[in-house]
Amino acid sequence: MDNQRNERKNLRRQRRIELGTQKRSPLGWTILWLIMVVFTIWTMFPIFWAVITSFKHTGDAFNPTFIPWVQFKPTLQGWHFVFITAGERTLRSLKNSILIASCSSALVLLLGAFAGYSLGRFVFRGWKNKDIAVWILSNRMFPPVAVVIPYFLFMRTLRLLDNPLAIIMAHTVLNLPLGVWLMMDFFRDLPRDLEDAAFIDGCSHLGAFFRIALPLAAPGLVAVYVLSFIFSWNEFIFVLVLGFHKATTIPILIAGALTSKGLEFWKVASISLIGIIPVVILTTFVSKFLVRGLTFGALKE
Amino acid sequence: MKYAYRKHVIKWFFLLPCLAYLIVMAIFPLTWSLRLSFTKWLATIMENPEWTGITNFRDILFKDPRFWSALWFTVRFVFLTVVIQLGIGLGLAHLLHNNFRGRNFFRVLFLIPMACPPIAVAFLWKMMLHPDIGIINTALQTIGLAKVKWTTSVVVAPFTIVMVDVWEWTPFMFLVLFAAFQALPVEIYDAAAVDGASNFQVFRKITFPLVAPIIVTIVLIRIIDAFKLFELIFGITSAGPANATEALSFYVYLTGIKWMNLGKGSAMSWIFLLIVLGISLILLSRLRKKI
Repeated sequence: MDNQRNERKNLRRQRRIELGTQKRSPLGWTILWLIMVVFTIWTMFPIFWAVITSFKHTGDAFNPTFIPWVQFKPTLQGWHFVFITAGERTLRSLKNSILIASCSSALVLLLGAFAGYSLGRFVFRGWKNKDIAVWILSNRMFPPVAVVIPYFLFMRTLRLLDNPLAIIMAHTVLNLPLGVWLMMDFFRDLPRDLEDAAFIDGCSHLGAFFRIALPLAAPGLVAVYVLSFIFSWNEFIFVLVLGFHKATTIPILIAGALTSKGLEFWKVASISLIGIIPVVILTTFVSKFLVRGLTFGALKE
Repeated sequence: MKYAYRKHVIKWFFLLPCLAYLIVMAIFPLTWSLRLSFTKWLATIMENPEWTGITNFRDILFKDPRFWSALWFTVRFVFLTVVIQLGIGLGLAHLLHNNFRGRNFFRVLFLIPMACPPIAVAFLWKMMLHPDIGIINTALQTIGLAKVKWTTSVVVAPFTIVMVDVWEWTPFMFLVLFAAFQALPVEIYDAAAVDGASNFQVFRKITFPLVAPIIVTIVLIRIIDAFKLFELIFGITSAGPANATEALSFYVYLTGIKWMNLGKGSAMSWIFLLIVLGISLILLSRLRKKI
């Protein structure tokens, strides 16, 4: 494994030399890095600006000042408002967000691991594995807004409107296809031999699944859980339609931050950051899988 | 014998919960909405839906210019945003191919825009784009340029939406394409180098054809995703000014949920669904071959 990697590395170095790209002129390097720096600033500036703004006074928030203590006096006014003055609402949204994201991800993990194992390990005839997998994935491609009306009626009939349970159920549908596809890939890549050995020793199918396959697929399970947590945390439309008052999440809190009354940027910035910071932290843990998750599990990075 | 039978049972035992869940929570709502789309149901004043046949579809397709303008905006948006993202992503990925140090650092950094809640992205940009006191206009004024009516001009607002979407998703294009470039076989490049191919020739004759299938796949994925545009509209412009940035999903939301016109909203959902389904089928058939 390591040998192979070294070999690849060497080949790549050789390729660079032969293509002459390594001997790029100083000007070429400068342009290359300039482009990279510009792109990085472009990508990072909005986040940076939000962080800065969240520590500004009402008056400072409109000024193009960037360096705290030097150009403006930082204040905790925004954060104080979010967690103390409007603390009750913030904490309720935060609690709902965590509850909804963790429950729906758990459900995705459970159903997804089962279905992924079934599609990755066994052969279906007639309606083939491929067809089933593609049908499952097709559920992910519907625009959410196209199904919110029946969801709204469905949940009204079940008397689940404004109940986190309704949103948990909706988010599970949204993320389940991803869970199935990623788990299917993981189980397919695991060697069969261990499970076969377990059968010979008299282990049941369920036993083999829970004692052997599942522990081996642990990295995949973590990836599925965290990815669907992120997507559920970010989801907006279903929460907007299915929750009004009690079952609001962080995205709804953000949407309500910019009132008609005020240009209270410090408030918007700090509330937005409450939504952003947790997912950014989670992203660093699953950076390898996020792109895969966003391509419906279709492309491996 | 017993083993084979058990295997047959167990595979369905594992798969059925997932299928059942999707049928109850995805197929059932869709059929419900199909049935509703043939009815008139203004939920604020009517107790029950009233069967009207294809009236909704006829009204939407032939008597509702607002639907067509929303569709037209969405199509233009999808086209522009995907083309720009692909252009920048491809350019950057090619430029940095072979020459990229600190790529793990950048990989994590570039993941941030797409991992953020889209509604938070919308509000961050709304702050910066504020016509009077937003940082962007303030900066433009400082360097002596005129203020731009980012969100309040009928001409500029659609491009503002495209810009924010480009901000959010170009890193994604870049990361996928960069990974695809890195996975290309080394030997071909050696051969090209021996034959004395120029940098541009290498890109056009080797790199591009080899990554073309991946480009097609991610472009399709981005098209399907871009059609879902909702949060940016909701947050930045609320479909204004003068409905210039009303996306299809936003109009569906207004009709079906805000105005509680459930019949017409369902019919529009289905038209929207069929458009996206057409593109999805191409993507799905490509993905089917891969597994």
